[in-house]
Order: sequence, then structure tokens, then C-alpha cells
Amino acid sequence: MGIIELSNINKYYYMGENALHVLKDVSLTVEKGDYLAILGPSGSGKSTLMNIIGCMDVSDGGEYYLDGESVHNAKEEELTRIRNEKIGFIFQKYHLIPTYNVLQNIVMPLLMRGLTLKEAHEHSMEIIHMLGLSDRIEHKPSELSGGQQQRVAIARALVGEPAILLADEPTGALDKNSGIEVLKLFQRLNDMGNTIVMITHDLGVAEHAKRIVKIVDGELTIQEK
Amino acid sequence: MRKRELLRLVWQNITQNKFKTVMTSIGIIVGAATIVMVIAIGKGGQMDVADQFKNLNAGAIDISCEGAGKESSSSGRGGFGGFGGGMPGGGFSDGNSSSENSGSGGRMPNGGEMPEGGKMPDMSQMPEGGEMPDMSQMPEGEEMPDMPQMPEGGEMPDMSQVPENGKNSADGESTEGATGKNDSAREASESRENDNSGNRGDRGNRNGNFAMTESTEQEIITLTDEDLTNILAGDVGASEGTISYSTRSSIEGGELEEATTYTIAGVQSNYAQISNLTMAVGEFLTEEANNNKEKSCVLGANIAAEIFGSAIDAYGSILYIDQRIYVVDGVLESMGSVSSGISPDDAVFIPYQTGIKYLVGENADPTITIIADDVEHLDTVITATTELLAEYYPNTEFTYEDAGSKMEAASASNEILTMLLIAMAVIVFIVGGIGIMNVMFVSVKERTNEIGILKAIGCSQKNILLEFLLEAGAISFIGGVLGMLLSLGITPLVRYFDVRVELSLAAFGAALAFAVCTGVIFGFYPAYRASKLVPVEALSAE
Repeated sequence: MGIIELSNINKYYYMGENALHVLKDVSLTVEKGDYLAILGPSGSGKSTLMNIIGCMDVSDGGEYYLDGESVHNAKEEELTRIRNEKIGFIFQKYHLIPTYNVLQNIVMPLLMRGLTLKEAHEHSMEIIHMLGLSDRIEHKPSELSGGQQQRVAIARALVGEPAILLADEPTGALDKNSGIEVLKLFQRLNDMGNTIVMITHDLGVAEHAKRIVKIVDGELTIQEK
Repeated sequence: MRKRELLRLVWQNITQNKFKTVMTSIGIIVGAATIVMVIAIGKGGQMDVADQFKNLNAGAIDISCEGAGKESSSSGRGGFGGFGGGMPGGGFSDGNSSSENSGSGGRMPNGGEMPEGGKMPDMSQMPEGGEMPDMSQMPEGEEMPDMPQMPEGGEMPDMSQVPENGKNSADGESTEGATGKNDSAREASESRENDNSGNRGDRGNRNGNFAMTESTEQEIITLTDEDLTNILAGDVGASEGTISYSTRSSIEGGELEEATTYTIAGVQSNYAQISNLTMAVGEFLTEEANNNKEKSCVLGANIAAEIFGSAIDAYGSILYIDQRIYVVDGVLESMGSVSSGISPDDAVFIPYQTGIKYLVGENADPTITIIADDVEHLDTVITATTELLAEYYPNTEFTYEDAGSKMEAASASNEILTMLLIAMAVIVFIVGGIGIMNVMFVSVKERTNEIGILKAIGCSQKNILLEFLLEAGAISFIGGVLGMLLSLGITPLVRYFDVRVELSLAAFGAALAFAVCTGVIFGFYPAYRASKLVPVEALSAE
């Protein structure tokens, strides 16, 4: 059984009387250690799919198992816990909290698990070092470059040792060099055994993944590399 | 999430934007300061009341002759009574001197209606010519309308429009009687000729008000020391008592540049002990002085300072009361203000009999004060005294006032004031709370994205609710503390205006508790809204 098991996932958006069928019987399996890119143009339903995979939205029918846990019938509380423990999010716009410093941003998932700031700091030292943020931990996000901010976001995603890293257009807001650096980092993380699911509209970015699936009009077409 | 970490984050959020925090909490600052001041002023008021009554003997019962207004007859009398209220003082105080010898009228009621067989006030000193200066109310030199010549159908002069002058029990109240209709006015004027009674204002008032149905004649009497002796001998449960009256008269001498009107109290030698007065210099009026009608006096602390500069200077000096020489036998220590009765600091005490002889004559309106042996059973003493006095004066009603009831009345009005102020403070808090709510809504809106991030990385609804609630609570806590500091700043200002302020820890505690409660209550809804945000939508919010 894969880390992610999606079968016959459907999603509708209701606009008055009309229902918009955004995801149509989507089935997908991601194995542990996989590095998958979901490629699709805007409006194809890829963000909706990512929200469902990331447990931030629920499907209208179909089954979803994440790391062995049933997600499709989980309650909000459960989803919150799963997000905290199983998923590491990396967003296009970094989504760091501007009032907290780098360290606080990174360890936030650990604080939510009940660790103290000190414990969380000790726990995350290795990752901070690995991402070259050791001398930046007292800085505010606004004092960092885009590439550095994305590395902070990646550190935050990694710190809770999630089952999957879920990256939504991780290079979208970065200049070319920073983008390449992030993709190299992903490669390294994958080599270390992390499972990565990346969503992008950019084939050039998607090609860094081991595997690409295309989504068009809510339907998945598997495309092996 | 650990509370400590949550608090740390909340604190960080608050300190990031100090200006916003302070602006948000302004309503709370004002509210907390108001609460502190309200409680402090209320407490000050209570202590004032307590101070005012500290000189009062707990067992003291004041007995005075009730103006028998209710029972008195016809509307005509009513009109008269009202009018008469103003008259007697004038009659008595003889319009003497140009000095503002006002007010005596109110003090010398006796007689009231007493149409037949009543005691006639001493008219001998009345100015001739029938112009009766109404000393109680009218400014000097004003002439009293000549009642007998008053055109029929005209209305009685409305005394209420005459500027009040000095404190006079006859004042405003009598006017109601005075505005009576023609016939009553006419009758009044006739009555006046007949009776010329010094009628106490309040009696007159009642007469005037109730244009009267009952026809029983009520006898108004002047209490005397004989009555006091009778009461004390009558086994009513009181073995001590004194009789006193107060009036106002002009005083010259000392450093006074011109004749000035002061309160003069005619008292017996035991008055000082019964009223818990202590002497600063000299000794209180003696029994002997009273019996011999000596012209000696004891000054209240303020008066001694005003007339002679100090108690020492006053002691042994002489002054002129109503143009007669009196020797100052002693000066009282400052006793503080009192809420009713004679304020010792501002009174000149003379022997009872001396005053009767030279100042008030038969027009005294004395009050008998008896000290109940058992403070717990004032009621039975009052009942016994009532029965006893009824034997002597079957047609007269007396008023009884004990220290406790006076104190209760004073405290009650103080409590009403406090309640009003508290209501005001609550309103301020509600307004402040709404202010907090607004800012919290804006804050939730501003930080929607942040809430989305927190939710995405697994922050529970409970933690988000808690974070925003704590933030609102902390802002209002800060507001509460600043409000307390503000109240400390205001206190000297309020004291400057002679308002007694008693700051207390309880007041600070209450202010802080109110502040935090307001913040939490009004912060709850915005926090709840924040916690219920949908993560995907919150994340995509800009």
C-alpha cells in the first residue's frame, strides 16, 4: 500500500444551481520515497487536488488513505492532527508568519505538538544547519531573500518528519537560480528518503521529479517519465 | 500547544504593535480609571458620612415639635401657613442693622398657626410701619408686601423668586403655601394680623400644600427645659438629655471688619459631652453660666480662626453678638463637617438661657436630645417618650430622629450616587469592549492569511481561539493597568476640587477584573470567527 492512496476522488464546486465538476474520478497512488510532479495548467483542478491531498479540503466521494489513515471520513480535528504530523507544506509564497523570527517559524509545527521552544530548537538544529539557516534564526522573514524564505518554509515542512512533502509551485515566486537551488534541495531530500509531491504548471520544473502525472479538466493522465 | 508558548506568541504579537495595542485599549483605560475613581469616590463618600457622624452619640434621639400641618384646617389657613413661614423670622430678628441678619425666621417657628391661644411671637421688635422684612428669604431692604392691603384676587407674592439668603428652614418651601389662591391669601393676611405667629416654614409648606380637609386644630408648642426634665424623669429609657436651639445672628469684634452673620447655638452645659465635643482651649459653658444667663460663649474651631485668627487669640477675648458683649470662654477643637444639625466648627455656643433672654426670646425652636440607655432599643425609648409627651401635649406631634436613621439616610444617598457612577463605568466598559471587538475583527481580517498558515501546519481551532482570546484579554489587561495609572494621576486633580477620594486595592482589583472580562467577552466572537476560518480560504486571502 502506498503512502498516498486516492481512489475515485470527485469534487464539485457549487455555484447556485450549477455544480462544477472539478475532479473526476481521480485515482492516484504514491509510494514511499516517490518524487511525483502533478502537472497542469491553471483551472485544471490541480490546486483542488493538492488541497485534498493536503487534508485542507475534503472530497465529495471517493476514498483517500494517507500513510494508512483514512482521510475521506475524518473530522476537522483529525484533519488538523494529520496535517501536523503527516504533511509538510511548501507554498509558492512561502507563507511564513511575519511577526515571528526564522526559528519560531521553523519550529511552529513542533510547538503545536506540545514541545517547548527550547526542545523544538534542539530538535530542529540539524535541519536548520542542513538548510544553511543557522546564522539566520533570529531574523524576521522580511529580512531574508526569497530563496532564503523558501528554505525556511522547507525547514518548517521538514521539521515534523512528515510522511510526505507537499509543494505547491515551490519555485513560482523565485528567481531562476534560487528556483534551481530549491529543486536541487528537493532532489537531495528525496535521495534521503523523503516522499515529495510537487504541483506545478511548469514542465521544466516537473521534469526534476521522478514521475509526472498530468491533470487536465479534472482528469488525471499518468505519464511516466 | 503549551500555554507558555502560546503566551509567548501572544505577547510577541502585542508588542510588535504597541501603538495599536494602546489605541485599542483606550476604552478600557478610561473604563478602568472610571471604576477606580468611582469606588474611591464612593468610599470617600462613605468615610465622609462616617466622619460626619463620628460626633454623634449612637443613642441620641432628637425630639422636635412637628409642624402639625396635616391636621390644620381650612385652605385659608393653609395659605396663611405658607406665608407665615417667611414672616416670623423677620418679625423676630427685627430687621436690625443693615447686616444680613437673615434666616432667623426659619429657626423660630414656634407658634405656627396657633390662631387662638397660641403663643404670640414677640412682635415688639418688629419694625413699625407694617413693612415686614422677610429676613428668611428676602434680600436686605426688600419690603414685604403689605398683606392687609393686598388687592383681592391678587396672588400672594411668590416667595420662591426671592433670592435665597442664608440658610433658612423656612425658605422655598413656604412659597408653595404662598402661592395660594386669592381667598387664602386674603385670609392669610387677616390671620397674620391676628396671629402674627412665627410659623416655621415647613409647617407653612404643608399647610399650603394640602388645602386642607381636616379641621382638628393642632397645637404647636415650644419645647422647654421643663419638658426635658419631664422626659428624663419619666422612665422612658433615657437618663441623659439636653435641649438646644440654633439661630443666626450678627457678630462683630475680633478681626472682623464688619458685622457678619453666624450660627448661634443656645446649649446647656452637658451639650459638649453629649455631642462628643472636645475643647481646644478653655472650658465649655457651665451650668452656672446658664442659670445666671451670663453672656459668655464658646467658639467653633473655624469661627475662632475667622474672627480671631487662632483659638489661643480667641480665648478670653470679647465679641459682640447682636450688639451685646460676650466673653469667649473657650474654643472647640475642629470636629469636621457634620451632615445635619449644628456643625460645631461653624457655630458659636452660648448658654441656653442667655440666648432665650437676649436672642430668640419665645421664638426658639429648641430640640431636645436624649441619650437612650440602650442603644439597641431606640424604638422603645421613642415610643415611651411619645406616650409621655402625649400626656402633656395631647394635640401636638413631635418628630423623632435618631443618629442611626440619619446615618442610614446619608449612606443611602451615597450608595445611590455610587450606583450611578458604577452604571456610568459599565457603560464606558461596554463602549470600550465594542472598541476591542472592532479592533479584533480587523485584526482577524488582517491576519487571515496567518490563521490559514497556522491551520495548514496543524494548529487546532482551540489554539487559534485561545490565541485571539488571550490577545484580547492581554490588551484589556494592559488597558486596565494603564487605567489604574491614569486614576492615580487623576486623583490629585479630583482632590483639588475637594472631593474625597479613598483609593483602595479592592478598587484596583475590580478595575482590572472588569477590564480583562470586558476584553475576553468582547474578544470572544472575533476569536471564534478566526478559529472557524476554512484553511484553504484563509490561506488564499491576501
